[in-house]
Amino acid sequence: MRKDAYIVEMRRITKRFSGVAANEDVSLGIYKGEVFALLGENGAGKSTLMNILFGMYEPDEGEIWVRGGKVSIKSPNEAVRLDIAMVHQHFKLVENYTVTENIVLGMEPVKRLCGVLPMVDLKSANEKVRELSRRYGLEVDPTAKIEDLKVYARQRVEILKMLYREADILIFDEPTAVLTPQEISALLNIIKKLRDDGKTIILISHKLEEIKQVANRCAILKRGKLLDVLDVSTTSTATMAKLMVGHELSLDIEKPPACFGTTVLQVKNLTVENKQRFTVVNNVSFSIREGEIFAIAGVSGNGQLEVADAITGMCAVKSGNIILDDSDITHKSVRERNQAGISYIPEDRQQTGLILDFSLADNLALKRYHTPPFCNGMVLRKSAFSRYANELIGKYDIRGGGANGKARAMSGGNQQKAIVAREIELQSRLTIFVQPTQGLDIGAIMDIREKMIQQRNNGKAILLISLELDEVLACADTIGVMYNGAMINIAPADSISANEVGEYMMGVKKYEESYA
Amino acid sequence: MPTAIAGGAIAGGLIADVVIIDGLSFALPLLIIAIGGIYSERSGVTNLALEGLLGFGAFCGGLFVALFGTRFAIGSTAPMYLAFLCAMVGGAAYSLLHALLCVQFRANQVISGVVVNIVSVALTGFLTSQINASVFGAPSNKFVLSVSPRVTINSFSQIPVLGAVFTNFYPFEAISLIMVVILWYIMNRSRYGMRLRACGDNPHAADAAGAHVTRTRFAAVMFSGALSGFGGMCFAYSISNNFSPSIYMGAGYLAIAALIFGNWKIMPTFAACLIFGLARSGAYQLVKAMELSSSFSDLAMTIPYILTLLLLIFFSRSNRAPRALGEIYDKSKR
Amino acid sequence: MRSRTRKLSHPIMSLLGNKRWQFISIPLFAIVCSFIAASIIILIMGKNPLSAFYSLLQGGGFLPKPNYAAYKSVFTDFMDTMDALAVMILASLSVVAAFRAGLFNIGVSGQMLLSGFVATVLIGYSDLPSAIAKPLVIVIGIVVGALVGALIGYLKHKFNINEVVAAIMLNYLFQYTISYVINTRLADPVSRQSREISTAARLTLVGVQLGGIKMRVPLAIILAILCAIALLLFFTKTKQGYEMKAVGLNMVSSRYAGINTGKTTVVSMIMSGALAGLAGTSYYLGYYASIQPNVLSSTGFDSIAVALLGNSHPIGVIFSSLLITALSRGGTYMSSIVGIRQEISSLIVGIILLFSACGSYIRHIVDQYDYKSERGQS
Repeated sequence: MRKDAYIVEMRRITKRFSGVAANEDVSLGIYKGEVFALLGENGAGKSTLMNILFGMYEPDEGEIWVRGGKVSIKSPNEAVRLDIAMVHQHFKLVENYTVTENIVLGMEPVKRLCGVLPMVDLKSANEKVRELSRRYGLEVDPTAKIEDLKVYARQRVEILKMLYREADILIFDEPTAVLTPQEISALLNIIKKLRDDGKTIILISHKLEEIKQVANRCAILKRGKLLDVLDVSTTSTATMAKLMVGHELSLDIEKPPACFGTTVLQVKNLTVENKQRFTVVNNVSFSIREGEIFAIAGVSGNGQLEVADAITGMCAVKSGNIILDDSDITHKSVRERNQAGISYIPEDRQQTGLILDFSLADNLALKRYHTPPFCNGMVLRKSAFSRYANELIGKYDIRGGGANGKARAMSGGNQQKAIVAREIELQSRLTIFVQPTQGLDIGAIMDIREKMIQQRNNGKAILLISLELDEVLACADTIGVMYNGAMINIAPADSISANEVGEYMMGVKKYEESYA
Repeated sequence: MPTAIAGGAIAGGLIADVVIIDGLSFALPLLIIAIGGIYSERSGVTNLALEGLLGFGAFCGGLFVALFGTRFAIGSTAPMYLAFLCAMVGGAAYSLLHALLCVQFRANQVISGVVVNIVSVALTGFLTSQINASVFGAPSNKFVLSVSPRVTINSFSQIPVLGAVFTNFYPFEAISLIMVVILWYIMNRSRYGMRLRACGDNPHAADAAGAHVTRTRFAAVMFSGALSGFGGMCFAYSISNNFSPSIYMGAGYLAIAALIFGNWKIMPTFAACLIFGLARSGAYQLVKAMELSSSFSDLAMTIPYILTLLLLIFFSRSNRAPRALGEIYDKSKR
Repeated sequence: MRSRTRKLSHPIMSLLGNKRWQFISIPLFAIVCSFIAASIIILIMGKNPLSAFYSLLQGGGFLPKPNYAAYKSVFTDFMDTMDALAVMILASLSVVAAFRAGLFNIGVSGQMLLSGFVATVLIGYSDLPSAIAKPLVIVIGIVVGALVGALIGYLKHKFNINEVVAAIMLNYLFQYTISYVINTRLADPVSRQSREISTAARLTLVGVQLGGIKMRVPLAIILAILCAIALLLFFTKTKQGYEMKAVGLNMVSSRYAGINTGKTTVVSMIMSGALAGLAGTSYYLGYYASIQPNVLSSTGFDSIAVALLGNSHPIGVIFSSLLITALSRGGTYMSSIVGIRQEISSLIVGIILLFSACGSYIRHIVDQYDYKSERGQS
């Protein structure tokens, strides 16, 4: 490794979005063949910086040098031409295409039919993909359709896409956020293998342990500015954490011992099919008591979301029963369930939880508009809407735009605060939190977790569904693990270790007791 | 508007033959227009503009014949083929308007389609009258075309029932069939088709993979313009032998119905168009065979539409539009 | 050079940049642009655009013509325009009602035709007195249109049939069936249209004499304006209006909020159909008194674009309808006075709609300009 020659150098990069600086005067250099980590909280500007390198955004100021030459990267295509590739946090895959079709898209191999007609040669492409995946230990079926693949496999497709393009500067944007501990270590091994193969890797992350494991050097960003570049092997995680957050990292929330009451929700032998008649939830049973946070851990796509949707009435139940406080709600409408006492903070806050083009006041009343005081017979009372909105804005500190501003104009954190406020104010017996802190900054994460635990302390039943194991471990009283649509283990949180949960999530560990 | 009835050669022939002959001469142009729609919609651009595109295309073809038709020898078919070429070029050029509005100007694609139709009706109406008045000095809203020849392949036409397919067909029907094969191949086997379909499913993925979304969609919409122009020219020749505002008889909307019926796939759409065309000519022949008054043909004309609605009730359940259809592609959003 | 164009566009940009007024400033900007474009076309044809537009307004009854036939004045022309306007407003409101719930009613023409036809057959040829016939015509129009709308909504909700396809099929179905009935039963031997209906049933009073001038009195215009206000109140003040807007903006969130989306879909199509039916009766039993076989009125299709021009807002639609109707009504007169083809007025209409379809792009450009100038200052 030549210490004097950077393969990528970003000089004094500044990027602003509507006047707000996402990156300010950031300069860094990356050596060939190293794993370079970008560390920082959500919103620190890591992704923006890498999107600039990948040509998604153009910097307002600053220069980029690649392999000793100054370049201007105006589009991802130009980045690809410089052998730069990126795995985005949200995978960019065509759902109804096969693995191979996705990998070759944009660089399709062409053969000539009868020596004349050019056509995409999928057969040889399949072979090439198979060979690549064997070489790097990225097993995946080239002919499988993306929509049938699990998250880790989709990620592998993204990695194969980069390798197929023979990129040698690989950017990973938060690659481990939705993986199990076991999948994470497999991914980290792949990253090491890629580095040993001579690739340069840039890893965006906010998880210190994995940076410690694979990275050579690490840059710490905070509020768009570069704080420091550290040699990972000689720096302790505590120092990195301190730099990143600005004070000692404390993600622990005060959580008084649990005090369970009567059973609020009972799910018995629940089975759910998706639109393609495929069983996605298979014979799942569990129950939640007053004052209990029941968390379902699991890798994305193992049926957790469908459990939440089935309980709230967003999707139909094939068989089984859902009982809320002794009344069977299995076939009730969404509205009836809401009124029976279910609050739901959905996974997709923008597409499900809010109507983005409605005002904040309209959104806050989304589940109450049809009841007094918001409505008198058929007629809405707008004064009640704004009074209620202003009350919640104060109580939950929802910022941006005020009661009449559109939800679209608010930041992600405030959008989520609005949803949480609305759902908690319903004072429901059961509140379902799905991925409640995804993509939020630390302040908002702590705020929402505190609210959740407060609800539990007030004797409400909570169902938490999270893909982030840390979150499950930090909040749950009871942990259920779902794998392949089945609930394969339920245990009190204090009786199970992170690793054990991980093994269940992978389906490695089998049933210990049957809940069927 | 009655379909052109096959000429005297088969008068007194089997009704089934006439049904097939007339049915195909309606179904094939409809299919070509519908495939145009499929190209546009599979790339993610809703295309309600087919009606306007086919009208404008036919106008261009008609204009060509009106301006230059007399320079060719009488009976020459060259002006006809050149008219088809002009119709395709004109349709493609006019479709740029829809592409520009939808892809570049972020207009609501449904609205853009409707507006493109309205402008097409207004523009062709205006230009036809204006050109007739100022160039030919005759107040007319039509361009008269020559009569398209019809072809019969003798060796095949003797096959019972199916022989009618090879009897008395227009040359453009044969061209249409060849085009269908080529278009299917481009859509499903070529590099461009693969990118086009990706743009309609997940433009962000297509863009990240280096398929140029804007360019691909522009091309797809132009495909739909060219194909609609071709189909419009077919109707101009087969139905009335002239270009007049009556070309806007709703074939474009029918093509949209056919492609949705066909679930945005070429072969099922082919089936939909065939059912429709045959039901149409069948109903028409039924009125004739029963020696009912011609006003019954209006009633008979409802049969294909009722049939389509009924079939839709059974086949719409699993219909799934391209995922990104109608969405404005914005790079900065995810 | 660059800075000069910037300065030039700056006042326009700052005018358009005001978010509070964008709902009116951007359509106005589009209209101004299209009149400029139309002027260029007229100039190319060697005519004076100003006198063309002036005669357009004269033809529409907004400015007095130099001379009138006996019993006629500018007011006569104006009331004729009002008659056509009523139809356009109602048809556009129909589009708005569906559009707000995320649906697209392309079947306005068919619904107009069917309800006009049913009202004609049931009431048009009866000898009921005016006081009974007119309300009955209105009720029949509403009911028939609503039933068609309900069918389309139901097919969508129950069988997942795209509303655009269902409406297109129904358009043709009505067109052919009604054409058959008219040709066989109702045709007037001279006009080849359906026989004229009784004056008692007609929603437009014809030949009313007022101050020595004869004119039409379109009752439907009052109806149209009442409907616009009612629709506005419905969307802003009622529970169902709130639900409908929610469904139109986001189907999933609406389901999540507990709204019965299927019912909302059907109800909004019923409302849309009812308004289209009302448009139909005021067209076939008001503006006209008979039905032409085998023709769908273009108003039904134009109304889609007119609804857009009016920002899909019930009151905005009144103004956009006024503009478009005035342009199309004045075309004949303009053509005879200025000596350009009558079709030019529909071309102008087309250009206006074209520019207004770019409204969101203009907004986008303005926003970007705002952002850039902001950056320039900081």
